[in-house]
Amino acid sequence: MKITQHATETTLTLALNGELDASSSVLLDNELSKPEILRTQKVLIDCQQLNYISSAGLGVFISHLQTFQDANVKLVFFNMQEKVRNVFEILGLDSLMTIVPSEADAAAV
Amino acid sequence: MAVLRKPFSLLGVVALLSWLALLAAALLYAHPGLGGVSLSPPAGLILVLQALFTGIVFLYERKSPERLRGVDFIGLLQRLLLGPALLAVGSVGLHQLLQMLLPGSINGSVLHTVLYTLNVGLFVLLLARTNYAWRALMMFRGSERLQRQWVAFELLLGATLLLRLLPYAPPAAISAAVLGVLAAFGAYLSGRQKWVAYLSRRQKLEAVLLQLAIIGVMGIFVVYFLDTRLGFRLVGPAPQNAFLLLNAFFASFYALMGLLVTLFNLPTAGVFEQKREEILTMQRLTQLIQRGQTTDEVYQMFFDSAIQTTGANAAWLHVEATDEADNHDLYYQLTADQGSAISRTLAEFNLGNLEYFNNDLSSGSFSRLKLPFGSLMVMPLSSSKRQYGNIYLLQEPVQAFDRESLSILQTFASQTVLSIENLQLIQASMRTQRVQDELKIASAVQDSLIPKNLPIDNWFEISSYAVAATEVGGDFYDFLHLPGRRLAVLIGDVSGKGVTAAFHVAQMKGIFHALMQENPLARNDREKYPVPSQFMTQANDALGRCLEKSAFITASLYIIDYEHGGFVFARAGHCHTLYYHSIKEEVSYFQTPGLGLGIIRHDGYEKHIKNQFYDYNPGDVMVIYTDGIVEARDAAQEEYTEERLQRMLEESYYLDAEQIKAHILADLHEFTRGQPMHDDQTLLVIKFRSTQPGAGL
Repeated sequence: MKITQHATETTLTLALNGELDASSSVLLDNELSKPEILRTQKVLIDCQQLNYISSAGLGVFISHLQTFQDANVKLVFFNMQEKVRNVFEILGLDSLMTIVPSEADAAAV
Repeated sequence: MAVLRKPFSLLGVVALLSWLALLAAALLYAHPGLGGVSLSPPAGLILVLQALFTGIVFLYERKSPERLRGVDFIGLLQRLLLGPALLAVGSVGLHQLLQMLLPGSINGSVLHTVLYTLNVGLFVLLLARTNYAWRALMMFRGSERLQRQWVAFELLLGATLLLRLLPYAPPAAISAAVLGVLAAFGAYLSGRQKWVAYLSRRQKLEAVLLQLAIIGVMGIFVVYFLDTRLGFRLVGPAPQNAFLLLNAFFASFYALMGLLVTLFNLPTAGVFEQKREEILTMQRLTQLIQRGQTTDEVYQMFFDSAIQTTGANAAWLHVEATDEADNHDLYYQLTADQGSAISRTLAEFNLGNLEYFNNDLSSGSFSRLKLPFGSLMVMPLSSSKRQYGNIYLLQEPVQAFDRESLSILQTFASQTVLSIENLQLIQASMRTQRVQDELKIASAVQDSLIPKNLPIDNWFEISSYAVAATEVGGDFYDFLHLPGRRLAVLIGDVSGKGVTAAFHVAQMKGIFHALMQENPLARNDREKYPVPSQFMTQANDALGRCLEKSAFITASLYIIDYEHGGFVFARAGHCHTLYYHSIKEEVSYFQTPGLGLGIIRHDGYEKHIKNQFYDYNPGDVMVIYTDGIVEARDAAQEEYTEERLQRMLEESYYLDAEQIKAHILADLHEFTRGQPMHDDQTLLVIKFRSTQPGAGL
């Protein structure tokens, strides 16, 4: 699992590369737990290279969902592979989180 | 006398008899006509009798049980000296005393002959005893070869006994040569003094004294026999008494050699003892682990041994604090303040945790500490993994420590670290064992939560399969019969694995049984039990208060009403239900929305959950499962997928529930062959029957 960051004034983009399982989700949790993240307006998750997400990986997003909402930080996923999107949908997360096809769509949210 | 102590010993009795015969012959020879017997035996007979007696005594001693007990060399020497040697010397002393008191009258008397013969007997016995004691010492840790050499020596000495029986005296040169060779052999054997090395310093001193005494006793006999020359010569000429002479020579020479070896060993005795002590300390340190001792005891042992072997006047063992223990520091004649002052001074010079010795504390930086000690030695207790602590040893004199003591201490330290790490390994493995045992219990408890008896009715068939990837799993399913020919079926999956997940499984089952109770306030039958979406909302509420933030549960609840031939279900983030519609002859997934439990913890969950009603037809098949099935991977890390599961049902929908399950599992196992199981797998197949004989419609 590799996480690449790209930050602008209002947006933080995290590109996930690999499999988000129990061990690598700790890395992601560290990133999302940083206090400065709550000062941005948007957190964009680039899922193009995300091949697999386990329940532990989903748990990381779920655990930060409420905090982000309270701080008015938008969490947007884009470039999601069909397989991964299916996992989000089965769990019903697509009704809670914003999942858009492309980076341009994400920027427009 | 051994001969008297063991009257039943045949050899002892024969020895005594032969001595009596010798006495009789001596008396008759020295005092012709004594007691009216006019028979005078030839001198040769006395010699033969004496040889016979000597031979028997030596045989007797040879056959006696081993006198050396373990490594009690001093005891052996003491018994020899206080037993036969003292007796013989006492007897000689008595004879001399009588000669002094009664000059003239005793010489040539019967008493004189008796005493003399008695002394000869005692001397022979002493020689035999001494030589066999020497044999025991010589054979201590001796080789097979030495054993053979000794037997040869015995045989050769035995042969010299026969010299007495020669009718003529051999030429002096030959006798001297034979004697010389045998004496040399004895001298060679006297070099075998391995036992000396096993004596402590004190024992060596005792051994020197005892050996001196034995040489002294031999000397007394030589003087005695030289002094007391009788008409009949029991001792000498040399060839006839070669055996006794050689034995006396060997007895004395071995004692002399032993004495010298012991003497030369005395200066090094301390070093030997120290080495022995070090080895013993090592053994004790090692044995501490085997006896299952604590690290505290290992530290104490190390501390005591270090003080003892280095002769330190004061010491401090500083043990690095770990989270599980407070303070293990040990002090000996030193205050904590002095100790920390020393360690601070060392730290100033970056010498903390290093091997170090300083033999002059009165100068340099240590002088300002004003310690009442002249020398300091420090040894760290450390392994490649971590630092355990330091030992500080102090001595009053300056120049008290050297490289040697440092290296001994280092050996101790590494053994101690080894012991501690082994102990930790043992403790860790015991902990792991305990956790495993507890997991087994948890596994058994969880197993008891899985319904063993599937519901049986004419209307449907149910077949189930559930395997956990680890000891305790996160998958669950349960059944509950409700009044009015209804059956509630719950299936679900807790995120995460292990014991936490298992707890949530138990919790979920509790919630299921608690919520599926009849509501007494219900206005009609249909409202007595919660519909699935209500159930999920209430469950979400209950779980929201206890699930950790990143944990969630997926579940599906089905309430099958087989009186009316329909079912209602809600899917809370759980896998889609696979269904065979017999009317349409089609297999498809129910695509219903629904959010997992524990994801949103405030009000508003009910917006995310829907009920789905369906009227089933006979022959319909419902396959419900957990993601462990569809996400199972093959060797290429490809997932099993919903599509493949759907295909399996398309191939097998017409079979019994049990056979459908078997068909799916066979394919799944084929797919995952050789791969480890990543997640728990649960699969339920429910088939609605086409005929219900006797159904109460």
